[in-house]
Amino acid sequence: MDKLLTLTALRRVIQLTAFVFFVYGAMIFTTFYTGDKLTQSLPALSCAYDMKGGDFCSLIPLQHQMDHRVSSIFTQGEKVLPALMGTLITLGTVAVLILILNKAFCGWLCPLGFFQDVFTMIGTKLGLTQLGSLSREAVNKIRPIKWFIFLFLVLILPLLTGIGFLGHEWGNPYCSICPSRIMTTAMGGDMSQIYISQASWGYFALSLIADLMFGLMVALALFVRQPFCRICPMLPMQTLFKKIGLLRLVKNGDSHCDSCGNCVKACPMDIYEIQDSTEHKNITHADCTLCGRCVEFCPHDGVMNLKYGPVTLLTSSKESFKKRIKIDKWWKE
Amino acid sequence: MKKGLSALFLASSLWGYGEGVIYWAPHMSHGGGHSQGKHGGHGMGEVTMLHAMNLDGNGSVTLITPDLSKDDLNLTDTALTLPKATIGGYYALVLTHRSENQVDSAIRYLSQQGRPSKISPTKLTALPKTDLEIVPDPLHREHDRYTASKSYHFVLRLHNHPLANTTVFLETRNTPAQSVITDAEGKFTVTLPNDFKNVQIGRSENKPSEFLLTTQHREGDTLYKNTLTMPYSLNPNDYWQSQPYGAGAIFIGFLGGLFFYRRHKKNQGVSRG
Repeated sequence: MDKLLTLTALRRVIQLTAFVFFVYGAMIFTTFYTGDKLTQSLPALSCAYDMKGGDFCSLIPLQHQMDHRVSSIFTQGEKVLPALMGTLITLGTVAVLILILNKAFCGWLCPLGFFQDVFTMIGTKLGLTQLGSLSREAVNKIRPIKWFIFLFLVLILPLLTGIGFLGHEWGNPYCSICPSRIMTTAMGGDMSQIYISQASWGYFALSLIADLMFGLMVALALFVRQPFCRICPMLPMQTLFKKIGLLRLVKNGDSHCDSCGNCVKACPMDIYEIQDSTEHKNITHADCTLCGRCVEFCPHDGVMNLKYGPVTLLTSSKESFKKRIKIDKWWKE
Repeated sequence: MKKGLSALFLASSLWGYGEGVIYWAPHMSHGGGHSQGKHGGHGMGEVTMLHAMNLDGNGSVTLITPDLSKDDLNLTDTALTLPKATIGGYYALVLTHRSENQVDSAIRYLSQQGRPSKISPTKLTALPKTDLEIVPDPLHREHDRYTASKSYHFVLRLHNHPLANTTVFLETRNTPAQSVITDAEGKFTVTLPNDFKNVQIGRSENKPSEFLLTTQHREGDTLYKNTLTMPYSLNPNDYWQSQPYGAGAIFIGFLGGLFFYRRHKKNQGVSRG
């Protein structure tokens, strides 16, 4: 029982609950229309294509707004403010939700994040050799991809589609390749999103990328932690508001930090910057999912802290580190 | 104009679609196969003019808005022009015709854009609208649409109570009527036929068609009839989208991941050695 009293165990329970809500929520909790009652702009990959789901990810309205509303500034001479109003409301909703939970949406609520975690657990239990951490060089190469996806697939291509430069297939190109679309619908028993389209070269390319990437993600998740999260366009959007988030990672480093490196080894996103020694500083990085593993695996008293506003929720300590290491060994056996 | 409408009506009667019942048909579809604009979701492209087909005499029309308030509307001949929507969400359009010992009714749900109603559409479907009523269970969501080759659930109610063991007919323009029987809870499921003709590649190139659900029930001396009409779209997976190829691509992606695993394992062996 003692083994279950860890932050990771609590996170798994919350992830599972969120997964059930986001993937099956409309069937289980209230009505078919739960999604209509909530924000439809969650900063987590809760897919609008899942007709049994509880809410929408904010990326689909953003793409639609670029395609149908923002583009009207250029095509119909629409005034800027009315044309941007939908986008501002979506971003405002995201900002409010980030204020409440910050990037913990990724580490604690995102159904695709949990799906990948489950495959990593399966890979561990199957005895597959786990890739502990990616090299700093590899991480630096991967990081810009999410910005590229966010800028081009979520904003620019849908906008160009609305203006008329591109075909209809580029109206929501991110959703067309998003693995959450395939995962959430398939988990609800709907296999219709697994396809190769022959409607046009654009549709063909997007559907092929989607399927290849989904298969690749599943296989990688068996031995790499959170492979898709590293390029997820939700991270850049959350980064825009991360400074206002009440939940944050605060570090009060000391001289041990230069040589220890336990926090980086524990980090599923391989954020090397959290190792840097710093005093009383919010170190919530753009890639951080606020999973709290760095706090759990820090062996130094009071160095790593998970804080909500002025309240410290969890702080690192020698005692809890020892206990956590034991549990980790037990899990990997 | 009237001649044209009569010809179209005659044509539809010859096919047998909706024969002997009143039903709602969108303007331009009552003789053909298409119903609304090409765009699907958000109520965009939804029709604003409908026809009360086979209506003989006067009928009363009620529009139930997404906030569940009711407006009585007037038909012009058999045509109805919908008022401009101010509230966004599902509307129910109810046509009732009463004659001696018979009550005919027709229902259609329409999605319109506007200010959110903050009321779940399940309350709209739950609201009793006619004595005998075919109810979608549930109505599809904003980004969904009735689609060929997919199954959908409905409930049949009489005086707001489930009606068991009753035959319901499903008809489309290109497929003869098929019957289903409601279960003990009044529920039934229909699979919409893949019966689109002259299909063009690309979803936006093909307009939706119409399906019609018809049922009747006699209680004492009174015969109740009810119809539900809704648009349905073709299923791209029946035409230009291949699911086996999609599954194959996922498998190739998975193999790619395993290739990376082998390389990672090899590298680890080298670094350990």
